[in-house]
Amino acid sequence: MLFNKRTERIFIWVFFPLALLMPLFLAENAFYISKMTSVMIFALFVMSLDYLVGRCGLITLGHAMFYGLGGYLFWMIAPEYEAVNFWVYTFYICMIASAVALVIGFLVLRTSGIYMIMITLAFAQMAFYFFSDSIEFGGNDGLFIYVKPETSIFGLSFFNLDDPVHFYYLCLLSLFNTLVFFRLLIRSRFGRVVDAIHENPGRTTALGYNIFLFRLMSYVIASALGAYAGYLFTLQYGFVNPSMLAWTTSGSALVMSILGGMGSIYGAILGTFVYEGLHYTLEHLTEHWMLFMGALIIAMVMVFKNGIAGYMEKLLEKRS
Amino acid sequence: MTTSLFLVQLINGLQYGLLLFLIASGLTLVFGVMGILNLAHGSMYMVGAYLAWYFVEHTGSFGVSAIISAIIALLIGIFVERTLIRQLYRRNHLDQVLLTIGMIFVFNALQGILWGNDPLGVSVPESLAGAIPLTDVLEYPVYRIFVALLCIGIAAVMYFMINKTRLGMLIRAGESNREMVECLGIDIRKLYTIVFAIGVMLAAVAGVAAAPMSSIVPGMGEHILITCFVVVVIGGMGSIKGAFVAALLVGLVDTFASVLVPQLSSMMIYILMAFILLLKPQGLFSS
Repeated sequence: MLFNKRTERIFIWVFFPLALLMPLFLAENAFYISKMTSVMIFALFVMSLDYLVGRCGLITLGHAMFYGLGGYLFWMIAPEYEAVNFWVYTFYICMIASAVALVIGFLVLRTSGIYMIMITLAFAQMAFYFFSDSIEFGGNDGLFIYVKPETSIFGLSFFNLDDPVHFYYLCLLSLFNTLVFFRLLIRSRFGRVVDAIHENPGRTTALGYNIFLFRLMSYVIASALGAYAGYLFTLQYGFVNPSMLAWTTSGSALVMSILGGMGSIYGAILGTFVYEGLHYTLEHLTEHWMLFMGALIIAMVMVFKNGIAGYMEKLLEKRS
Repeated sequence: MTTSLFLVQLINGLQYGLLLFLIASGLTLVFGVMGILNLAHGSMYMVGAYLAWYFVEHTGSFGVSAIISAIIALLIGIFVERTLIRQLYRRNHLDQVLLTIGMIFVFNALQGILWGNDPLGVSVPESLAGAIPLTDVLEYPVYRIFVALLCIGIAAVMYFMINKTRLGMLIRAGESNREMVECLGIDIRKLYTIVFAIGVMLAAVAGVAAAPMSSIVPGMGEHILITCFVVVVIGGMGSIKGAFVAALLVGLVDTFASVLVPQLSSMMIYILMAFILLLKPQGLFSS
């Protein structure tokens, strides 16, 4: 069984059907469709971070580097005024991001704990200033993507990326697939070893596993998915800018992941939706939304020790 | 680069480095002794700068305003430690990250409510307003030299306090073994409150000192926070000596990079950090 925990199953059965039906009710309201899409894209990004931090125990504050890279890579490799194939470019971007992650991961994974947080931050900041200080990449303003890719496979095209509802479904599908992918990965032999490394690196080494290699592979996988999320973001808004790879993007993704319940994977969706929902609501209610947001985050740390997912699981355990 | 320009950049770099040390020392002290990763440390720097502005407007004296700001910062430190930080000693670093990010939000919001979002400025106090001529055409402001000397003074006091006084002894003991200190009948919670409050005060004092040199803007805390983390990590987390060396190093590298390689200047300190961490994964002076 893929979704083993009861809470997780309930969440999946509530969230995905609702998300699937949402455009039927809100098809006229383009704003909500676009808002939901962007939150789902970010949830995908948070999920990849959640796997890295919660499952592998590799805390990074530089994950946004790959988010931004996904966008910039598309601008770099795609011709400017010609529609390219979405699937082919997804492949290209994930491959290039993986190659970058392989090199950076090779360097940063030599450190651990707080030092790893800082060295990942260092690389992300380098990337940030590389893009924001260079004229070729549009500096602080970023760049525009003029033509969106087409999505045909063997001549069949299911999505038209210029249509917000189509794009919404593409993102929903991506999110679901990523969730399933991570569940399969976690339940595979590879995932078991990764869990063992998280629990006790010393013993896992003694069992004959090369823990560096497993960490590196996890880092590459999460980074490639992070880049994919950034690529989707770029396609949605038609631009890339350096704020995508600012450390605050990594920071808020980390907050969402902790909020949702570190390492639970589906918690990433919960965390992102709760955070963005609160942000959106408070921003509309008051000019000083940050005060309430901050107070809520503080309160949540005090109350939910294992994030929202952990809290829900505890509630359900009490009932049964 | 001429000799005099080199000299000016050298003093600039050292002065910037010393200011960084003032902020970073609080960060590294709190981490070393309490094991708390305080991301809201930069906000304290911002609070210091805003308090300085506020009290200069109301009292007219920079000195008085500096003292009041430091005392208020100390009280904020005690309050925050007692109410929030205390809950987190037994939790992991990630919860601390989340909590202190929440605190950043709150402090930024309070800053917006109390003082608005327009850039503010504090003028240099009159007694320190002059400039010392270095050559015929170059001169160096007295205030900056005063700040550098102040930072050296505070560093010396900290060195003395940690190595020669009873409180310092307790801090060093708490750093190496919390349980043992508790067993010896010392109230470690009180010690933690003191250390945290001192850390907050150091950041706020740096904010006060920096107020006349730079404009006071929202978000100034986050910018300096990242730079201070670079300092703390290069020096080795928890090492005050390391923070001192690293702060000067970062100050000099940043200053000279903006003159020599302007296109790489913002990246330079991160390149430095990555390079040092790859050679010494625990920083320069790790314990």
